Amino acid sequence: MFEKLMNIDRRIVFTLVALVVIIPMLAPFSIPLTVAEPTQNLYDYIDALPPGSTIMISFDYGPSSFVEPEPMAEAVMKHCFDKEVNVIGITLEIQAVPLADKVMQRVAVEKGAVYGEDYVLLGYRPGDTFVILGMGAEIASVFDSDYLEKPITEIPMLQNITNYDQISLLLVLAAGSTVEDWITYGHTKFDLQIAAGVTGVIVSQMYPYLQTKQLIGLMPGFRGAAEYEKLIDAFGSGTKGINTASLVHLLVIGLVVIGNIAFFVQRRREE
Amino acid sequence: MEFLGIWIAAFLTLCIYSFLYRDNPFYRFAEHLLVGMSVGYIIILTIYFGLIPYAWDPIQKAVTGEASRWGFLTLIPICIGLLFFTRLSTRHAWLIRYPIAILMGVTSGIMIPNALQTDIFAQVQGTLNPFSVIGTLSSFEIFGAILIVIGVICTLTYFFFSVEHRGPIAGISKVGITFLMIGFGSAFGNTVMGRVALLIQRVDFLINDWIGTIF
Amino acid sequence: MKQQVPLVLCFLFGIVMILTEFSPHAASQATYKEIANWGRVISPFVLALAVITLIQTHWARIQRRTEHWQYSVVVFFGMILMVVVGTPLVIVGSPFGPQHPAFQWLFNNVQVPMDATMFSLLAFFIASAAYRAFRARTFEATLLLVTAVIVMLGNVPIGDIIWGDTASNARQWILDNPNLSARRGIILGISLGAISQSIRIILGIERSYLGGGD
Repeated sequence: MFEKLMNIDRRIVFTLVALVVIIPMLAPFSIPLTVAEPTQNLYDYIDALPPGSTIMISFDYGPSSFVEPEPMAEAVMKHCFDKEVNVIGITLEIQAVPLADKVMQRVAVEKGAVYGEDYVLLGYRPGDTFVILGMGAEIASVFDSDYLEKPITEIPMLQNITNYDQISLLLVLAAGSTVEDWITYGHTKFDLQIAAGVTGVIVSQMYPYLQTKQLIGLMPGFRGAAEYEKLIDAFGSGTKGINTASLVHLLVIGLVVIGNIAFFVQRRREE
Repeated sequence: MEFLGIWIAAFLTLCIYSFLYRDNPFYRFAEHLLVGMSVGYIIILTIYFGLIPYAWDPIQKAVTGEASRWGFLTLIPICIGLLFFTRLSTRHAWLIRYPIAILMGVTSGIMIPNALQTDIFAQVQGTLNPFSVIGTLSSFEIFGAILIVIGVICTLTYFFFSVEHRGPIAGISKVGITFLMIGFGSAFGNTVMGRVALLIQRVDFLINDWIGTIF
Repeated sequence: MKQQVPLVLCFLFGIVMILTEFSPHAASQATYKEIANWGRVISPFVLALAVITLIQTHWARIQRRTEHWQYSVVVFFGMILMVVVGTPLVIVGSPFGPQHPAFQWLFNNVQVPMDATMFSLLAFFIASAAYRAFRARTFEATLLLVTAVIVMLGNVPIGDIIWGDTASNARQWILDNPNLSARRGIILGISLGAISQSIRIILGIERSYLGGGD
């Protein structure tokens, strides 16, 4: 029996995975979530910003990873618009521009934010490190127009913004190595305050920077998005997703346990 | 158009999921279409948000007098950049060494001082800082601070290949492996969350958006 | 000419960037800014070369009629579609462009779903791998496995229902302490290696990036 269990067709495992995702979608449930310190720190920092401050969001993710950072962007932007904090969007990832445009417009419509006054999307420029360094000297030297090719001199909310000195916080929403780039060139060289919202895949490598305060806050994956949604009291795809993810996580843990039981039983028999 | 978009997206989603059963032409079609469209997308955005604002605009503005004549300086990096294309000719391929050497020099020069500060000084400081406020820490926090020092030293020792790992060094690097395994375990745990997130989104799309158009 | 000039250029640009980093003088900062600007101008050419190389690969597959060459035609179809829709042909009065709804429609309804689905496949494979390969054979493997299970349980709210606050707290403690120290060890190791390699590149000791030949 255990030998059979160990040689089970992988497609049976695939079917189980599909089922534990589909079932909670058909019968949604909600489980209370505790907020961890790194997300709370980011929330507190933004909450304490005076109205009229400006934060910059770097949308550094693509279609292969947008599911986790997108609800983070939504939640943080909602918080910002409620606090009358302006948002500048940029991206170092070539595939992120339409994604950033979509999420910014969606939140703006919901919160009644006005383009050019409350938020702006500058878009994409190639050359990660050089873009970060260039904006540190002068944002206009990198982005002389916004995503819609409107000169930034004609955008009201950018009139008093020259470089990072006028940016209260940079939030990196990343799936790759741009958080490290922002810390190395944005924080170290220009003393820019940085927080991050990252995909699960790179969460673990953020903690050394969190302890040194090179990152003032962190939203770790789907959980981070759900935590921020809880803090601003808004139900979004982060909360919905983390509830569904609960069952998949239990399934994976169950598979590990069953696989190991079968393995040890068979090994004992062989001995 | 929205209806059509949802159906096309659903069809392509199912094409890719068909790979879970086995490799098949539907999957290969979607895979190659994705590669092609990504390349097309990158071409357009590189021209629009790279070459035009960085290379074309400064020269054009210098010619028309909209900007100062210093704009012509941009011709230097443009020429350096164009040298990348010598790679396409077997006779002149060696010329690609020029732009690569310049980029290597520039990025190395920028990286050294900033990486020293970010990844060496700040990280060492972060490891030792808790001991400067040790009086304010609970015994559990002190345990954590000591654990971090031990972990960092042992992990570094594991990666130190200039000496043979024998005797006490072998013991220390073994402890380093222990820490690394915990690090990789936590990375695996978090990776599961990331991959599951994508799956949830796609299933959500199929059930709520696509099937929603049928019923 | 073929070896020495690139090495000299690399040395000069590297040294200038290091020296100007530490000098607050206006001329020095202007030089730093200008060269960083050059780096930005050069970047799109690298992307363009990568794209051309990929096109060459698929073109060769079609010409040689290698196995599954038909799919390379699909690659060209997708590429041309995006380029045509994304190019504003001002001469013929086409209103299309990268910000045009048609380009965005293709991106949102074709490219995004495929890319996202492709990576979501990994959820299935990760579950299958966890079942088949995640075995507590040794002490180290057991440690990895136990940590992964605790972090997985702590990552989702159901973990707190099963194990109380312990799930979240244990996850947070692991990430904040042993995980942090391992990651920091890796960061220090990589950075020391990268910095020493950069010094070797600037000084011309490391030349492998120039490729073979004279």
